[in-house]
Amino acid sequence: MIRVRFHGRGGHGMKTASRILGTAAFLEGFRVQDSPLYGAERRGAPITAFTRINDHPILERGIITIPDLVLVADETLLEDPLANPFLGLHAGSLLFINSPTSTQAMAEAVAARHPTPARILTGDLTALTLEKIGKAQALSATVGAAACKLAGVIGMGALEKATRKELEELGLPSPLIDRNLEAALLAFEQTPRVPLASAPPQPAPLQGLVVPVYQPPARGTPSVAAPGNIILRKTGGWRIFRPVIEYDKCNQCWICFVRCPEGAISLDEKEDPHIDYDHCKGCLICVEECPTKAVVKEREVHAW
Amino acid sequence: MAIEHAYKKLKEISLEEFILPGTSTCGGCGGLEALRLAHKVLGKNVVFVNAAGCFTLLALFPFSPFKGSWLYTTMASAPAGAQGIRDALDLLIARGALSIEEDLQVIVLAGDGASYDIGLASTSGAIYRNLDFWYFCYDNEAYGNTGVQMSSATPYAARTTTTPAAVLTPEGTELPKKDLFEIWRAHCPPYLATVSPRHPLDLARKFEKAKAFKGPKLFIAYSPCPTGWHYDPGQTPEIARLAVETGLWALKEAVHGEVAHTYIPKKLKSVEEYLQAQGRFAHLFHPVRQEAALRKIREAITQYWAPYLRTMQNAK
Repeated sequence: MIRVRFHGRGGHGMKTASRILGTAAFLEGFRVQDSPLYGAERRGAPITAFTRINDHPILERGIITIPDLVLVADETLLEDPLANPFLGLHAGSLLFINSPTSTQAMAEAVAARHPTPARILTGDLTALTLEKIGKAQALSATVGAAACKLAGVIGMGALEKATRKELEELGLPSPLIDRNLEAALLAFEQTPRVPLASAPPQPAPLQGLVVPVYQPPARGTPSVAAPGNIILRKTGGWRIFRPVIEYDKCNQCWICFVRCPEGAISLDEKEDPHIDYDHCKGCLICVEECPTKAVVKEREVHAW
Repeated sequence: MAIEHAYKKLKEISLEEFILPGTSTCGGCGGLEALRLAHKVLGKNVVFVNAAGCFTLLALFPFSPFKGSWLYTTMASAPAGAQGIRDALDLLIARGALSIEEDLQVIVLAGDGASYDIGLASTSGAIYRNLDFWYFCYDNEAYGNTGVQMSSATPYAARTTTTPAAVLTPEGTELPKKDLFEIWRAHCPPYLATVSPRHPLDLARKFEKAKAFKGPKLFIAYSPCPTGWHYDPGQTPEIARLAVETGLWALKEAVHGEVAHTYIPKKLKSVEEYLQAQGRFAHLFHPVRQEAALRKIREAITQYWAPYLRTMQNAK
């Protein structure tokens, strides 16, 4: 069995990528299973999706804790404890990271921060997606294609059919589907073939029932006693583009400060605006609304 | 209570932030944009009662963006929760355990699903009992938090996941948007208004004005939703502007039931400009133009504005 886990952010299309992989493997004659996992979170928040591929019926259920292949759509997720893409990686598994950083530099960076026995591979699918589809977030086709190539058992014909089927089901207009297909085939070609080793034994299913222990309401009810502590959550990693203020063009009109939904733009005593990059989600309202075009957008490049 | 600010210009808006950044709401959330501006006017002495909905994501355990208190309720019972808190505060004040200066304004936060559908009965009860509270409905015209299903706030011909453009219903949503403003107005609350985040001064003036009233102070905030309406998050203010300029979203208030429009567009923009900017209306234009549906939308706008525009012309 090949167990594949996708990590992305809401809006990246990782659920669709896992469906593309599943459908393509099904078209190749395999038994497949796919499922997404997301909590009370929205666009930009970490989500996970799972695909299992097997030549026998799949009796396993639930999340994949020991994967053969992990695809990370956004390198900032590597540092996100909610995503935890390193979970269960072993010497036989492959960690694919969508990033402009080279495989070697990435492997060194990962080794320094999160030592993992898994092999590492990078590819800049965002650049390809931007070029062919024009929207950096629309990663479902390209990540799906990379997954198909790395799974090692899927041909281009099945990938093409599966991508078309899944995107048609989403109701995308046909010119957009064609652009996605073009990007998918390029991603398939540019992703190298890396043999997957077979996974070590999976954990045995839990036997019997676990009875929850009663807690009095004072302990059992969630309550927050640290008002305003949400600033500990850094939502800056959601950005694909970063707004940058060109101060020589700014006329201190307050519009970016007033329009920012997050309150991530503050004004100093000279009324110059400052962006809080730890929390700015990159919605780009400030770029759109600035009357003097003093806020420009730049492709986000993360530390990784 | 004296009116402290006239809110004639943008630079009167408070520099202090009351909702801290780092929440899980989508980038470009129109509802959060409106709430942030409203909170700046309301100040720090508030307690929120949050009906289940997108704004549940503001305080996601163990984090909270608010400097004060926040209580989470089911979709149907936020006004009942507000009653409980109001009563508790009043009791504390009566016993001398809380000074008048420490008193809090109780504010219900509810989406259109909780406001138009599930919590309408408990809101009606709270207004009937003349409960002294604020109600902030962030209206993004669908059940956004669960994946954009139709609510009774969804406008005619918008596509949602439960009202797709299909063979039998090519226009998507078949029913018109429920008129919550008029339903609430029938209860004659002291203050009722619609607001939009794109009109921050109009919004600020309304919240400032409402402070003078004891009893229910109700607001419906137009809340463009990039995720559910299918447009780029950066377009939120532009979508909100078009909604007002095309006459789809009327900025108005009602003091003890007396309606006044706070902004009347000089000339209504073509509604198609608004519709074409959003994916949820794309099926009205591709693959074929749905003329009948477009006509129906135009006629509803004309019908709404006819009496007001006539009064304006007569006044001239």
